[in-house]
Amino acid sequence: MYPGPTSPVNRLHKSVSSVRSSGSRQWTQHGQNTEGETESFCQLKARLCGATMKKVLEVILLLLLLVVTHAKGTRYSPPGKPALTRCRSPEKETFTCWWEPGSDGGLPTTYALYYRKESSDTVFECPDYRTAGENSCFFNKNDTSIWVNYNITVVATNALGRTFSDPVDIDVVYIVKPNPPEQVAVTVMEDKGWPFIRVSWEPPHKADTRSGWITLIYEIRVKLEEENDWEMHLAGQQKMFNIFSLRSGGKYLVQVRCKPDHGYWSEWSPSSYVKVPDYFHREKSVWILITVFCAFIFLILTWLLHMNSRSLKHFLLPPVPGPKIKGFDKQLLKNGKSEEVFSALVATDFPPKSSNYEDLLVEYLEVYIPEEQELMLEKSMDLDVGCLKCEGSASDSDSGRGSCDSHTLLMHKCDGVKEEEERQAKEARRHQKDWKEEASTYAHVDVSPDMSSGRVKTWPSVFSPLPRYTSNQQGSLEMAKQHYLSDSLFPTSSTSSYHTQPGHGTTEAHGPGYWECGLSNKQPHLLHPQAQAQRQLQARSDDNISSIGRKQTPAGLHSPARRSTEYVEVERVNEEDMVLLQPVSGRCGDVEGYPEMPYGEDYSKVKGVDMDNMLLLQREVREETENCDTSSTVTTTQKPAACIHSAMPVEGEMVLGVNGYVDTATVCTPPTY
Amino acid sequence: MLLIWCAVLILACLELSTRVGTAPICSYGQAGCHTPSLADIFDRVIQQSSRMHGISSDLHSEFEQYFFPSKNLIGKPKCHTHGIVTPADKENAQRLGREQLTEVILRLLGAWGDPLLQLYRSMSQDQNQDFNHYSSNKALEISDMVHELRDGVAKMAEKMKLSGVLGNTVGYISPEGLVPSSSFSFYKHGELNSMDHHDLLYCFRRDSNKIKNYLQILKCTTLPGLDC
Repeated sequence: MYPGPTSPVNRLHKSVSSVRSSGSRQWTQHGQNTEGETESFCQLKARLCGATMKKVLEVILLLLLLVVTHAKGTRYSPPGKPALTRCRSPEKETFTCWWEPGSDGGLPTTYALYYRKESSDTVFECPDYRTAGENSCFFNKNDTSIWVNYNITVVATNALGRTFSDPVDIDVVYIVKPNPPEQVAVTVMEDKGWPFIRVSWEPPHKADTRSGWITLIYEIRVKLEEENDWEMHLAGQQKMFNIFSLRSGGKYLVQVRCKPDHGYWSEWSPSSYVKVPDYFHREKSVWILITVFCAFIFLILTWLLHMNSRSLKHFLLPPVPGPKIKGFDKQLLKNGKSEEVFSALVATDFPPKSSNYEDLLVEYLEVYIPEEQELMLEKSMDLDVGCLKCEGSASDSDSGRGSCDSHTLLMHKCDGVKEEEERQAKEARRHQKDWKEEASTYAHVDVSPDMSSGRVKTWPSVFSPLPRYTSNQQGSLEMAKQHYLSDSLFPTSSTSSYHTQPGHGTTEAHGPGYWECGLSNKQPHLLHPQAQAQRQLQARSDDNISSIGRKQTPAGLHSPARRSTEYVEVERVNEEDMVLLQPVSGRCGDVEGYPEMPYGEDYSKVKGVDMDNMLLLQREVREETENCDTSSTVTTTQKPAACIHSAMPVEGEMVLGVNGYVDTATVCTPPTY
Repeated sequence: MLLIWCAVLILACLELSTRVGTAPICSYGQAGCHTPSLADIFDRVIQQSSRMHGISSDLHSEFEQYFFPSKNLIGKPKCHTHGIVTPADKENAQRLGREQLTEVILRLLGAWGDPLLQLYRSMSQDQNQDFNHYSSNKALEISDMVHELRDGVAKMAEKMKLSGVLGNTVGYISPEGLVPSSSFSFYKHGELNSMDHHDLLYCFRRDSNKIKNYLQILKCTTLPGLDC
């Protein structure tokens, strides 16, 4: 199989082995010469003798050798099996194979490498055993073919035998392991104040990347000198690489290696050292600047907060509003004495005695009615009427009972006492005035709010039940009427003006006149049966009242204190069953010869105050009546001045109290009686 | 309902954007097309050939590992492309010149189109279950790649001719003319046994390496740049 080497040693080995294993067919005895059969017998004999002689000699030698070795006590054996460890090509142009020798068997052993190329049976021996060192075979460029399969075998030979290694198939393309990259340069560079390392290198000089024969890819690894872990970076085909994120003042090691597309990685290049300069100062200065800036801002904020601490506190924690009760002392409450606190709440001046009647919707009109009449009236009372039910009592007219509070109470049940008082007062008033006016007042519902200085309240609801009461006993209706009348006729402001306050102007004096006028104004609207009925009722009731008033006037009008409410007293009842009312003051009670009332308190209507600060009380009723008559047609908004004085019937039948408590409703209409 | 409309809108937008994003490459230099430069073509071609070699290498190693553990029993196969004279070392390759090198590349690529297809068919229909599904897919992949690469190299040659880099001696070589008909007899049509599979994979692995290497040489001699 293998071409026989021509060295004599091999030949000897072959012959010896052939002698020992005559049956072996492994070796073809190429080296033996074959001789022709035409030679002479003698020569043949000589030859044979020579050959046998040689053979005998060899056997003897061998035996000697064996004896010697046996005598020495060591065993000789043929060499062990070598093994090809690896084959490498650094640049894909040459390659080297290394093998591992087996045991030498105690004898000097030689090794040989044989190879066979693909698709050729020619066996070649390794051309160069030395270049690559011990137990190696170097194939130079001429002997190297790429993309060709090599079948390589190593043979170990010693005196006793030869041993073949296992054959190995290699293709140079797949065994390329380049040399490490060369000229590795590491420099520290700067990028906007931050340093980085730039690594550059060159491919191994043997590898021809320039022509494209080999394509290499590179890899870099970095680590700090004192660390153990490497940081790997794959660089691809480029020959330069940047490394960032360095520790300032650190010392780094850099290494590079390369690999062909399909091959083995090279060894790492020798370490390159690089020291990164300290850039901590620059970092520090930035931090200092930032800290100072923050501190500055913090100071400003603190100062601002301090300046606005109060408003900020109010914004964040709004103060809790305390109770605003007049007369309520928080301190007392805190002290825990509830009695004192609540006693303080009790207002001593309630009901308010102030003259500001505008706040009050209360109209006071106290009318004293004798008990008989009271009872009558009471019976006629309907629950539906509401406040009209007032318990009668024989107390004085000024007992304070006479106030049913606001007109709205007319529709609700309230204390009987108050209502009674009011009712009584109203009755008295009514009789002082013209009955017609009264009726007109009742009937006319829509009093404009502006009339009489806006003090007259409008109660559409108040008047609505009126028609109902026509069927009722006259008393109740009368009560209602009177009640309403009083409310409408006594605006709060006017009540005060009655009294006396000299300092008041004429406007206040007009107070009572307002309602009078208003009443008179309403007169013309009264043309409907209800009014008629009312008037009739009035007339009847007048009788009653007048009668009542007559008897009771002295007592009834005995009002102990002059109050801001208006009180009239019934002076007498005249022949026509009319109650003549008289102001309690009695000062101006010169009307028609009525005697003045001997009372301490006088109530009279103040006409005005003259220059000398004298109260002018109304007297001239008659004259005024005419005026009122003429003015009766005037609209409700007419200035009541013209009708200051209460209108009275021209007839004079109704001689009311001169002092002007006149029922304008009755005055301004032609008297039906 | 609103969600559905939103999803539809988003999908439509995405589709439009993807459509707009792609710019077709026209190798014939049509108007309005972005024609790539020679360097781009080279890069693409080399990438493709590198990938092709990688896949074929994987296939071969898989085959050897699982099916042919004792590789020394059988002698090394004779590839059907042995008839194509290829430079076996650097000097020979450089001596060959660009035109011939291109021609060799084209020949090699042309010679492998059909056999790879046969290989794929055989692998996918494998009765012995020698190959798994992924291996047959890889075979199909390299089969396609060979065709693409051949077209790419042809275009590259055209471009080189246009730019004057390449002489006119290289003509478009049809696959039939390249490979002698005797090579087809190597493989029984439609019936390849495992031996044939192994041989094919072995041969193609080598040839793809050759193609890649030749292309790299071609590039670096034509356009010496940073990569060379």
